[in-house]
Amino acid sequence: MRTRKNKGAYYVVSLIILIILALLFLFPLYWIVTGAFKTGAEINSVTPVWWPTEWVTNNFEKLFSKRSAPLFEIGSLTGPVVPGAIRWLVNTVFMAVVAMVLTCITASMAGYALAKKRFTGRHILFTLIVCAMALPKQVILIPLIREMSTLGLYDKIWAVIFPTVGWPFGVFLMKQFSEGVPGEILEAARIDGASEARTFSSIVVPIIKPGIGALAIFTFINSWNDYFMQLIMLSSSSKLTISLGIATMQAENSTDFGIIMAGAALAALPIIIVFLIFQKYFTQGITMGAVKG
Amino acid sequence: MATLQLKNIKKIYEGGVEAVHSFNLDIADKEFIVLVGPSGCGKSTTLRMIAGLEEISEGELYIGDKLVNEVEPKDRDIAMVFQSYALYPYMTVYENMSFALKLRHLPKDEIDQRVRWAAEVLDITKYLDRKPKALSGGQRQRVAIGRAIVREPKVFLMDEPLSNLDAKLRNQMRAEIIKLRKKVNTTFIYVTHDQTEAMTLGDRIVIMKDGWIMQIGTPQEVFDHPANIFVAGFIGMPQMNFFDGELAKNGEKYQLTVNGCPVEIGESLQQALKEKDVPSKKVIVGCRPEHIELSSADNALKATVDVSEMMGSEIHLHLNCEGKDIVIRVPSTKLSAEHRGGFEFGTDLKFAFPADLIHLFDPETENNLI
Repeated sequence: MRTRKNKGAYYVVSLIILIILALLFLFPLYWIVTGAFKTGAEINSVTPVWWPTEWVTNNFEKLFSKRSAPLFEIGSLTGPVVPGAIRWLVNTVFMAVVAMVLTCITASMAGYALAKKRFTGRHILFTLIVCAMALPKQVILIPLIREMSTLGLYDKIWAVIFPTVGWPFGVFLMKQFSEGVPGEILEAARIDGASEARTFSSIVVPIIKPGIGALAIFTFINSWNDYFMQLIMLSSSSKLTISLGIATMQAENSTDFGIIMAGAALAALPIIIVFLIFQKYFTQGITMGAVKG
Repeated sequence: MATLQLKNIKKIYEGGVEAVHSFNLDIADKEFIVLVGPSGCGKSTTLRMIAGLEEISEGELYIGDKLVNEVEPKDRDIAMVFQSYALYPYMTVYENMSFALKLRHLPKDEIDQRVRWAAEVLDITKYLDRKPKALSGGQRQRVAIGRAIVREPKVFLMDEPLSNLDAKLRNQMRAEIIKLRKKVNTTFIYVTHDQTEAMTLGDRIVIMKDGWIMQIGTPQEVFDHPANIFVAGFIGMPQMNFFDGELAKNGEKYQLTVNGCPVEIGESLQQALKEKDVPSKKVIVGCRPEHIELSSADNALKATVDVSEMMGSEIHLHLNCEGKDIVIRVPSTKLSAEHRGGFEFGTDLKFAFPADLIHLFDPETENNLI
């Protein structure tokens, strides 16, 4: 039996380990953010400069002076010309937000149907979805490119959005959450006269909201960080996402790490904001399997 | 008018499992029917078929004059209260109660009026702005009932609504349901596995076992004249005692012996046996614990005390009668001061059956001989 003293020691040791791990994970972010404000000499210095001696913003100035593109293009309608990095950021936010919203809608509906509706082939369908989770992205890449080309979506932001929307993991996650919706509540709604759509929107969605929150953040991060898919599907400069854009800059200006650091800091910012907002749901989503089985 | 007719209703699940067999029942307008039976007897399945939550495999269900087999639950003009309350967790009590009315597009004033009336009837007005999780079990169940009564349904269905409550609250809510029934004055179909609820609430009780109806009758009828051994054992607490007996027809008179001791048969029972022309045969004799009397007569049956339970106003004696366990209830007032607190283990006692309060069952069919 663990004594009170032992418990105290256990707590202190765990805390120290957690602090060390947190610092380790924070370090790249710290290095990028401080690096974005360092001079070129400090960045390239052989002995690491841990803190900028002078906070400079010229990396950001250079980043925003590079290239120009319209803020948006919808058919023939184009926005004001802005620095390329801003356009990439707009592209990335649009891609991640639309993918997130569409995935949440489709996955929650599909998950609910698989969990609560009885229809022929339900188990086979779910097995297929679970199998699809095991497929590496590289395997479906060629068919996906051909599909997008046929649909006329190649080199369009939708080519990276649509493949995310049918995310099998999202359906799986939402099915697990929907299993927790008591059947009697759905029956009560049925007797009360609620249509399927009304039952889903007014009764089911509020109950599985934590799951949708977790899925939203998973999808957002997944979509934001899906460098590989973006690299394959997008090629025109104005269609690039922020990570692709930074990569192209790396190729052209292999020595100017300042711009790259500034771009990376800019790319990390929305993810951090989203994480802070949905943090509660994110942890709920991760621990869900542990409590619901 | 909300009469119900269940004609040869069957429920056959995938794989051929028949959960309800040929269920026939006519329910009168404003009648309170209780479906009672042990777990798995098909009572909830029957209720769910009436609600439209389960498909009816065979047979016909009429609500009023309308065949409703294929009618959606919302169009059957029914309301249902579930065992788990089934309240919408993210809605307030008011929203829970008004949900169905909003879906029917009733005017706001009317919705408000109905919800407040129901809340007053159930004494939950002060909780209208709370979410279900902020309520106790009893309050939640009131909300669930409130949600049903605001709809002013033709038929009120209740699926073990008190099962999740503790014993004290259950008694209280049972009384509330009796009062509620007088206020809403509609047809009730109530499912329970608790025979006390069945006896106290029902105008008529339907006792079920393994998907079959065992008996339909008023509480008094099923208690006084159980159709078979199952009903006799199910209704009554503690349950009826059963003995192996021998019935002999001796001219115009019947004679009964249990464990070799003669047992007197009352005049009405003699008459009934004669009318049915029951031949001499082995029988199962049933007698309720409260009807068995301690006796000092020479030809009384002998037993020894296993357990003596002091219940306050009475004592429950668990006796061993020639290897058979029986229970008898003895009012404390009928005992001497010495035994008012109970009997010692191993005490030898004698008991007798009152002549008119015994039941005779056929050992083969298990049906009541009368």
